[in-house]
Amino acid sequence: MSQHRALKGSGIVAIATLFAFACGGSSGGGGGTTATKGTITIGVEMPLSGTEGSQGQPILKGVRYAVTQAGGSINGFTLKVQDFDDAVNGTHDPQKGAQNVTSMIGDPSILGFVGPLNSSVAKAEIPIAADAHLAMISPANTNPCLTKAKEALTNADCAGLAAQLRKGNPNPYFRTVTTDDYQGPALADYFLKTLKITKVGVGSDNQTYGKGIADSFQTEFKGAGGTVVGQRFDYDQQNTQDFKPWLTAEKAAGAEAIYVGGVTSTGVCKVRAQMQGIFDVTTPFGDGDGIVQDSECVKAAGTMSPNTYATIAAVDPLHVPSAKAVIDGYKKANPAPTDYTAYSIVAADSAGILVQAIGRAINDANGKMPTREQVRAEVAKTKNYQGALGSTTFDSNGDTNVKIISIYVYTSTDPKAANDEPWKAAVNYGTTPPTVSTS
Amino acid sequence: MATVVGALRQTRLAVSGQVGTWIFYGIGIAAFALLILPRIFQNPAFFLQTLIFGLTDGALYALIALGYTMVYGIIELINFAHGDVFTLGGFIGIALFGLIGITPGHTGSFGLLLVPIVLGVLIASMALTGLVNVTIERVAYRPLRHQPRLAPLITAVGMSFILEGAMFIWKGPNYVQSPSLLPTYQLTILGAQVDTRELFVIATAAVLMIALSSFVEFTKLGKAMRATAQDRDAALLMGIDIDRTISTTFLIGAALAAAGGMMFGFYLNNIRFDSGFNNGLAAFTAAVFGGIGNIQGAALGALIIGLVRAFNDGYGQATWSDVIIFGILIFTLTFRPTGLLGLRVPEK
Repeated sequence: MSQHRALKGSGIVAIATLFAFACGGSSGGGGGTTATKGTITIGVEMPLSGTEGSQGQPILKGVRYAVTQAGGSINGFTLKVQDFDDAVNGTHDPQKGAQNVTSMIGDPSILGFVGPLNSSVAKAEIPIAADAHLAMISPANTNPCLTKAKEALTNADCAGLAAQLRKGNPNPYFRTVTTDDYQGPALADYFLKTLKITKVGVGSDNQTYGKGIADSFQTEFKGAGGTVVGQRFDYDQQNTQDFKPWLTAEKAAGAEAIYVGGVTSTGVCKVRAQMQGIFDVTTPFGDGDGIVQDSECVKAAGTMSPNTYATIAAVDPLHVPSAKAVIDGYKKANPAPTDYTAYSIVAADSAGILVQAIGRAINDANGKMPTREQVRAEVAKTKNYQGALGSTTFDSNGDTNVKIISIYVYTSTDPKAANDEPWKAAVNYGTTPPTVSTS
Repeated sequence: MATVVGALRQTRLAVSGQVGTWIFYGIGIAAFALLILPRIFQNPAFFLQTLIFGLTDGALYALIALGYTMVYGIIELINFAHGDVFTLGGFIGIALFGLIGITPGHTGSFGLLLVPIVLGVLIASMALTGLVNVTIERVAYRPLRHQPRLAPLITAVGMSFILEGAMFIWKGPNYVQSPSLLPTYQLTILGAQVDTRELFVIATAAVLMIALSSFVEFTKLGKAMRATAQDRDAALLMGIDIDRTISTTFLIGAALAAAGGMMFGFYLNNIRFDSGFNNGLAAFTAAVFGGIGNIQGAALGALIIGLVRAFNDGYGQATWSDVIIFGILIFTLTFRPTGLLGLRVPEK
């Protein structure tokens, strides 16, 4: 019986292979004008379904847009985009992410990928990618522990993690956004200096990202002269449903704003909704990029959506003159209002960096199919890449040299307007002292 | 010889039971006095607010816990799907409101007519959810009634997954916002800002629980339920329709859970396909805490759990809430293995 099944299985594989060859052949012939030397695939590893699908899909579309803009080919090779979904039961899953990277490694045409969305997924993926020298560029991971050396980190919990994940291999991991050790402080500085808030209540969803960003917010807020009142609320997202006792305690302690580190799927926007009746809707509420430009967050926060602040660890595309053409082109190709987030353009730049690096790697390989190591090495050498958002250079850790945080605020209770969440300010940590600009 | 040992053991149990209970109540009162009392005087308004939040959460848990405890009382089944029945009730409520044109952002222009509409939807959702639960019993538990007790327990776990899966397909993985239709006026009681929503949730739960108690106590069907719980075979011999009685139990349990689901939506705005898991777990804990099979016990257990959570969230470290709740549960069960109000009944 089992033998029979195995035979049947191999038959299916054989037929599938035949089909694959047939298709490859016909498309090659149909291409006509440029004879391609083969296909190079760029992976996209994101939660594409479930709660975070509303964030992952615009990134996938950004990558596709960039590849189309590059003409769909590079130095004689056809470029293809293949997506991998890491959502399980509606939310990102590190194990699934690791599996996706393993399947990418199994496909020799994949020379690098854009992703993932979540730092916890990256943590599971980096060791696997490092072994295979597979370059990965994340347009969204902001956890500083993923890249920074022991000395650069204030958080002792994760010191040495970056080296540990790479296991002595050359660094495969790069990102086009900056890190939470700037993202958390940015809103702290904005609350304190621009909104003149002196007392906040702080909480988090108690996960890697949420706790980290809440910690850095809290440290900066205190350091810059503010007070963190009440008890810190690191809730367990599985069991905590009712935030009202804590919110009431914060109110009693004199909190003028609430900051909760976390993401939409772990209930941060639900906390905002429950502030109703305890705080006014004018009371600011803040988080990082976990809830930014996210229609699901506005749905969850409901009538309390206005004055909810969120950040993106990158430049706001609408405030970069050179990005206008890219945004217009992107929106023309993807007209639905939920297709665009600031991350679409960050993703397009990430894909652009990868495509250019592949191009240089092909030259390194004398026009032949480059190895993954050649691509990885070229990504690491990225210097002054001119993308829609300006110039990007990777440092030796794989981090970008651009250290600008954009601050956004929800003004409407309409989820459809969430993707156009208005920009409020930008904080640049590339200069000393950091500069806040509101125009 | 054996009888002597047996008798000795029984006396020891009885003595340790009595002394243990007193020690238990003593420690409970001392803990309350030490931890909470001084804080009351620091900020009475905040204490009152927290108390009301705790009572509200407790009332919601109680509505679910009653279903667990009734079903256990009558067929000794831990109905793991019950938490998901709670979510289903909330979802059906939201869907029915949607049909009338009431959505989270838009309550329509019904004016005072809204009161009968909300009541109507509440009753309809309770009835529909009740029917679903009766069907679940008919399909998944009744055929296994005379099988080893583990069999229906596993089908209950299975039903829980089926319900969660179905609701996942129906409403997706995200939080679903419920229209908030309870009047939200801020009352000032002794300096505390109290929202009328909380009072409404507590009142609804109280009315339903009193109705349930009277039903079980004073009606013929209630008597049949008690008889079936006590001895199914004897009840059958007395001419009680066991199937119908058990179906009624499932219907009532689900109706209460559905009311809880809708109140949960009104009160906390957001409900998700898996909300029933956490709430169900808390409610099940409450049922065990109060003495599973005992209706008043379930309500008492639920209120205590709600209060402990609220006080710990408000005064202590929220991260510790679950540790404290389960710590109290373990402590209670060591001294009173049958729960707070549970009676020592012979194993059937």
